[in-house]
Amino acid sequence: MNCLNCGTSNLDNASICVNCGRPLTGAAPPPPPPPSAPQQASYTPPPPSRFDTPGHPPAQQIPNYLWQSIVVTLCCCLPLGIVAIIFAAQVNDKLRSGDVAGAMAASKNAKMWCLIAFGLGLLVFIIYALVGGAAFMQGIREGMANS
Amino acid sequence: MHWSVALRSCRGSAKAWRTASAIAVVSVGAWILYTFPPGAGSFYPPCVFHRMTGLLCPGCGTTRALHQLLHGHVAAAFQLNPFLFAVMLGGVYGTPDFLRGETPPLFMKSWFAWTSLAVVVGWWILRNVIVSS
Repeated sequence: MNCLNCGTSNLDNASICVNCGRPLTGAAPPPPPPPSAPQQASYTPPPPSRFDTPGHPPAQQIPNYLWQSIVVTLCCCLPLGIVAIIFAAQVNDKLRSGDVAGAMAASKNAKMWCLIAFGLGLLVFIIYALVGGAAFMQGIREGMANS
Repeated sequence: MHWSVALRSCRGSAKAWRTASAIAVVSVGAWILYTFPPGAGSFYPPCVFHRMTGLLCPGCGTTRALHQLLHGHVAAAFQLNPFLFAVMLGGVYGTPDFLRGETPPLFMKSWFAWTSLAVVVGWWILRNVIVSS
């Protein structure tokens, strides 16, 4: 079936478009596991969000946070930002191969590392502000004089 | 109307508050960047990588470049960090999708993501080679 968003043709039983990552409306929903049966398959359906309709594919696109990862790499924390970029790229790869659960996991990781990198950068800023207190105040004084 | 009814309608949507606070943060940040020049002796945080190794990271010069941009000096900003322009272009391109909480389809392509990583790392190496040559 074709994605309503980008027109890419997908497998009939696919729930997410492999090209743009958006949900394929009207696709056959993945069969929910019977509640009493043991988990055999490697695919575990994600916990339902409040946007989901039971038995239907996930209501929202899986974001990859690629742009946010790049920004965080430039501004906050270089090594952790690169980790976030790699997870973001993995979201795309896993979607392309049809691994929806893997894509959602990679998406969560990309978001997490973006936040950690941002937090670390903020921490460095705070420490710098505290330790370099005198230089901090001098900088503000000079800045106001120069503006 | 009764004050409790007015208060309830003032709460607004969570999304509206998020958008408003984002605009507020960006505005304050832009004002600070406009008023206080970055560089030696300023209060802006330094690049840890640069401090430790003396080399440039892919983001070095971004703060100074943004200060120049806010003052209208586009060429000076470009010289400080040209890669910043690519990132800003990506941000502008993705804004309609970001506002909906989504990712633009282009960013969801495998080749785009891995190419972006290559560009970030490549720029990181290249700018150090340029400086040392």
